[in-house]
Amino acid sequence: MDAAEYLDLLLKALLLAGVYAAMAVGMTVVYGVMKIVNLAHAGFLMLGAYFALELFQHFHIDPIFGAVLALPVFFLFGMAVHWLLVRWLPKSDTPTLASLLLMFGFWLVLQNIGYAAWGNEDQSILTPLTLSSVHIGETISISKVNLVVFAAAVFCMIVLQIVFHRSWFGRSMRALIQNPYAAQIVGVDDQRTSRMTFGLGTAFAGFAGALLGMLYSFAPDFGTRPPFLLRSFVIIVLGGLESVSGVALGAVVLAILETFSTMIPFPWYWHGWKWHYLPPSYQTVVPFALLVVVLVIMPKGLAGLFNRKWKAA
Amino acid sequence: MRTKSHFIGTYFHRRILLALLLLAGVVFSSVSAVAVAADDTITIGVVLPTTGSESKPGQYQKEGIELAIKQINDAGGIMVKSKGKKFKINEIFYDDGTDSKKSASLVERAMSSDNAIAVLGGYSTALGTAESVMADRYKTPWITTGAGATAIFGKGYQYAFGSLSPVALIGTTSAEFLGYLIDQGKLKKGLKVAMVVENTDHGTDYINGFNEWANKHAGYFQVVMNEKFELGATDFSSILQRVKSSHADVFLSDAHLPDYITMHRQYLQNGLHHQMISYGARGPESAARQALGAGTDYIFAGIWWSNKLPYPQAKKFAEDYKAFTGHDVDSWYAAPAYDGMRILAQAIEAAGSLDKTAIRDALKKVELKESVLPGQKLKFAANGQAEYPFVITQNKPDNKVDIVFPKDAATGEPVAPIPNK
Repeated sequence: MDAAEYLDLLLKALLLAGVYAAMAVGMTVVYGVMKIVNLAHAGFLMLGAYFALELFQHFHIDPIFGAVLALPVFFLFGMAVHWLLVRWLPKSDTPTLASLLLMFGFWLVLQNIGYAAWGNEDQSILTPLTLSSVHIGETISISKVNLVVFAAAVFCMIVLQIVFHRSWFGRSMRALIQNPYAAQIVGVDDQRTSRMTFGLGTAFAGFAGALLGMLYSFAPDFGTRPPFLLRSFVIIVLGGLESVSGVALGAVVLAILETFSTMIPFPWYWHGWKWHYLPPSYQTVVPFALLVVVLVIMPKGLAGLFNRKWKAA
Repeated sequence: MRTKSHFIGTYFHRRILLALLLLAGVVFSSVSAVAVAADDTITIGVVLPTTGSESKPGQYQKEGIELAIKQINDAGGIMVKSKGKKFKINEIFYDDGTDSKKSASLVERAMSSDNAIAVLGGYSTALGTAESVMADRYKTPWITTGAGATAIFGKGYQYAFGSLSPVALIGTTSAEFLGYLIDQGKLKKGLKVAMVVENTDHGTDYINGFNEWANKHAGYFQVVMNEKFELGATDFSSILQRVKSSHADVFLSDAHLPDYITMHRQYLQNGLHHQMISYGARGPESAARQALGAGTDYIFAGIWWSNKLPYPQAKKFAEDYKAFTGHDVDSWYAAPAYDGMRILAQAIEAAGSLDKTAIRDALKKVELKESVLPGQKLKFAANGQAEYPFVITQNKPDNKVDIVFPKDAATGEPVAPIPNK
C-alpha cells in the first residue's frame, strides 16, 4: 500500500470517528449528570432511524433534515421518559443496579414496540447521497453521507460545549457533575436539570440514529446489530465518562485503532520471529481489548490522563 | 345488615371462585388438547428465529413449513400403517430470538417436554450448530432447514438431517459458473480473485468449495486475497482497501444480509469495480435492492432455490405460498423448509410407525420426488445432509433477477463482465 492509500484510510477513520462520536455523545451527557449507564440508548438510536425513515417515506423529507427535526421531538420524548420512569430511581454518585435494570428493561420495551410497529425486516434509507462520493485523484474517495455525519457530529460537540459553558443549564449540569450535593446547596434544581439532561441525551441519540439510518440498514434490534451500544460504551469510558471533548477523543482513538489494527505489522513468534498482521476477523476484538486496557490502566479515561499531565505541568 | 368487611369478604370470595373456575377451564382445555394430540395428531416441533437478526429468513422458513403442514392436514394427514389411520400434524412453534443458547434449549424442550416426534428448524449455521447436539441426545429426528455448513454433518450424528445442500457447493458452483464464462470467452483465463468471507463455518465452506473446483481446473483462477471478517462489522474500509490494492478481477464474498448491505454500500462508495461480484448466497434480496438500488445490479448469487425455476411444482409452490401468506416468495428461504417438512411426512409414512428410530431410519432411505428444489429430488446423503445442485442468479436492472446457470435452468443470459458505469 502506498502513502495515498494510507491517507485515504486515515480520512475514512476520521469520518468513522464522526459516526462514533455522534452516537456516543448522548450517552455521555446522561452518564455525566445522572450516573446512569443508559442501556436504552440503543433503543433511542433505533427510534431515531425509524423517525427519519417515516419522514422520508411518507413526507419525502430528506433524512438530514429529518435528523434535525428529531432533536426537539426526542428532547421532549426524553423528558417524558424521565418524568415517567427515571426520576423514581434512587439518587447515587455511582451507577446503581436499579438504573441498569430499568434502562435495560426500557430498551427491551422499545425494541418490542419497534417489532410491533415496523416488523422485523431490515430497512434502509436510499437517497441520492447514499452511494455518492467525492474522489480526489485515483485513490482517495470520501463518502458524502459520511461527510455529512461527520459535520453533524462536530456540530453536536460545538453546541454541547456552548451549552456547557455559556448557559445557566450548562453551568447547572457541570455543577451536578462536579458535586451534586454542593450544587443543590447553592440552589441548582437537580430534578429539573436531570430531566433536561435526559432530554438532551435522548435528543442527541435520536439525531444520531437518524443519521446512522443513512449509513446502515436497520431493524428494531439496531444498536446491538451493528454493535453500536458496545462501541458507545467503550468511547465514553475511553473519554473519561463525563467529558464531551473526551468523547471526541475516544471516538477518534477507537476509529483509528479499528481501521489500522489490520494494517500495522507486529512481530510474532511462530516457527521463528516473523512480522504478522491482525486478521480482519479480529477487528471487533479491538473495542473489547481497549475497554479492558482503559479500565485497568487509566480508569478516568484519556481526559483524566491529560488532566493529570496538565496539572503536573 | 351487611358490614363493610362482609362485603369485602364476599367480593374476594367471588374473585377467588372466578380465578379457580378460570384455572379449571385452562387445565381442562390443556388436558383435552393433550388427549386430542395423543389420539388424532402427531406433534412436530419447529424452532426458528422470528425475532432478532435472522428474523426475516426465520419467518420465511416458518411459513414454508406451515404451508406444507396445512397441505398435509388438508389432505387428511399422514397415514401410519401400524396405527391403521391417518394423523394430522400438530405444530409446536418456538421463536429462538436468533439466540443460539435459547435455540438449543427450545429444541430440547420440544424433544423432551413436548415429546415431539421430530423437530425442524435451525436457520443459520450458528443456530443450527447449537441445535444439532440435541438430536442424538434425545434420539429424535431433527431436520435443519437453514444450516448448510458441513461441520454439522461431520460429527457422526445419527438423528441429524439437513434439507440445505452443503454451503461448500455455493463456492464450487460459483467457481464452475465463472469457469463457464471463461470457456464462453466472456472472461479471460487466469482471473485474479479476491475472496472476503465471514468468519464462520459458512464462510470457510464457501472458500473450500471454491478452491476445490479451482484446484481441479488449474489455470482458471489465481486467488490473490483470502480474508475473513467478523459478523456485524460496522466498517469495511481497511478490508476493501486491501481488495483495491490486490488488483483483483473478481470480488467474491460470503456474507449474511446485513453485512452484504453494509459492505456493498462501502464498496460502491469507494468507487470499486470488478468484472464479477458475488456475496455467496446473497444478492437478489429485496431489502438489499431497497437499500442500494441499482448498486446491486449484476451481482450474482449461488442460491438453493429461485422462483424462476422452470419446474411446474416450483411454480405451484410459489402460487400456494402467495395464497397462504399474502406475499410473494421472493427469496430461497421458504423452499428448503417446505420440502424439509414434506420429506419428514413421507418418512413417517414410510416408517409406518411413530417410533422415532424407525422414522430416522426411513429418513435415511426416502427420496422426495417432485421436490421444488433444483434437481427436483430431495434425498439425504449418508451424513444426513441433502445434496442437490445450486442455481446461479444474477440481478439485472429494474429489479429483475435471472437464473443464469446451469444453462438448462437459465431464464436469461449472464452479463459478464459487469459494465463499468
